[in-house]
Amino acid sequence: MLEIERINVSYGDLQVLWDVFFEVKKEEIVALIGPNSAGKTTTLKTVSGLLRPFAGEIRFEGLAMGNMPIHKRVEMGISLVPEGRGLFPGMSTLENLELGAFTAKGRNCKEETLEQVYQLFPILKKRKKQAAGTLSGGEQQMLAIGRGLMSKPKLLLFDEPSWGLSPLLSKVIYEVIGEINHSGVTILLIEQNVRMALQLAKRAYVIENGRIVKHGDGRNMLNDQHIREVYLGTESV
Amino acid sequence: MSSHRKNIFLGLGIAILLALVPLLTKRNDIINIMVLIFLYICLAQSWNILAGYTGQVSLGHAAFFGLGAITTRILWVGGYPFLMAFTTGGLVAVVFALIVGHPALRLRGIYFAIGTLGLAQILKITVGNILPTVADLPGDYIATYNLIPRYYLFLILAVIMVVVVYLVGHSKLGLGMVAVREDEEAAEASGVNPFRQKMISLAISSFFAGLAGGAFAFYQVSYYHDLPFSPTWTFDALLITFVGGVGTIVGPIIGAFFYAIFREFFARAFPELHVFIFGTLFILVVLLLPGGLVEAVSRIRRLIRAKKTDTGFS
Repeated sequence: MLEIERINVSYGDLQVLWDVFFEVKKEEIVALIGPNSAGKTTTLKTVSGLLRPFAGEIRFEGLAMGNMPIHKRVEMGISLVPEGRGLFPGMSTLENLELGAFTAKGRNCKEETLEQVYQLFPILKKRKKQAAGTLSGGEQQMLAIGRGLMSKPKLLLFDEPSWGLSPLLSKVIYEVIGEINHSGVTILLIEQNVRMALQLAKRAYVIENGRIVKHGDGRNMLNDQHIREVYLGTESV
Repeated sequence: MSSHRKNIFLGLGIAILLALVPLLTKRNDIINIMVLIFLYICLAQSWNILAGYTGQVSLGHAAFFGLGAITTRILWVGGYPFLMAFTTGGLVAVVFALIVGHPALRLRGIYFAIGTLGLAQILKITVGNILPTVADLPGDYIATYNLIPRYYLFLILAVIMVVVVYLVGHSKLGLGMVAVREDEEAAEASGVNPFRQKMISLAISSFFAGLAGGAFAFYQVSYYHDLPFSPTWTFDALLITFVGGVGTIVGPIIGAFFYAIFREFFARAFPELHVFIFGTLFILVVLLLPGGLVEAVSRIRRLIRAKKTDTGFS
């Protein structure tokens, strides 16, 4: 569904991604893991359209994305749940959700999707008139996910879904991501919480210093020596 | 729905009351100040939709006002029916806005403000050079001049302007505009095309500013052609909106009444000091009430409600 073909991305003169490649197949959960400043967020920003690669190509359902602006990509079915939620703090919960359904596709089944989101996160229904900025961290993350779902995406991108959440809440959010995937939405997530990401993901790619250094099955990666030493802090057996 | 209906009835009631004013008084000074208030409502509300709702602070609003005025005046004095001249004035302002909007809206924040101010100044100077004369009305126009139709033209225009901003504010289009104001990148990530939202907002804004200019050209007997292009119109709109409450529907209305009446009052009471007093007042409002007078109203309401619950407990 999503093919990343050797993309190179730079901020001005500073190159941060070198020949990054990976693939997300339909209805998969794929995790992109790596340390701070390895290029995870940059990769996600490039997929969603905030940044443009100077070399390489991104294909979605066989179509080259080229210079397609962000809002067109949303229309095509790529939706981003940004790091730090990226909500509209002064607007109500409901208004935030309605904005998620701004695309033609989202608009057509707005009420229906809204019900689904409320079923997934009943607390959002209670908070629907409250300003998004006054919600708790966990509720804001739920709202960000809900807004992402409102556009009826085929591919949902998650930027650090456990960011700033307690271990318990992270678990809840991860369970929901699993449920969303079961309902047929393909998922690409980037995460520093490597253990959680690898337990959920079918496949994973490891990015270090702007390059993909490893990829494989999610569960197998948990037993990988390099991963255990560098990311999980456990000695290899 | 019920709050919708309440708002509509309230607005309608006020509009009818205002429509009765010329029947109740024959004093021209009252009619004239009401005309000024309606003009300010149009100017401020049309600026508000672009700056308050969409977050694009333009300092070139006078350009649209001026274009509407000059087009309407020339066509109307040239013998065309007034309504035709008037609508053409609004449309000329929109066409100009769409042409300059394309490059100008690519600028952000302070650069957009400076860019639009520059454009308006260029237009003012150009008009001043080409038409340095006074735009006097011909004798037969003055002979049939009647203040009452002017009053109703301004009233209707102000009512339409308020209704349009209300409808846009409660629509999906308005939601997209506010999203662009709050966070352009997040808006785009939600599927909003920020450039399109800004262009639509600019088109509505310039159309009504142009119509306000046309009404001004219909009302004012004699003025220099470049007067409607003066930056004063822009800054009046900006002051009124900020004093009343930027990004709200009621703000520019309250602001227009406040601005026109207080300025008139201070100008009569303290002719030498009125600009100074008004400036101080403006600074105080912005410092103490960043949300404008609208915020003061909701603060007082909250205070009363808090008092009520207090006594309920004791």
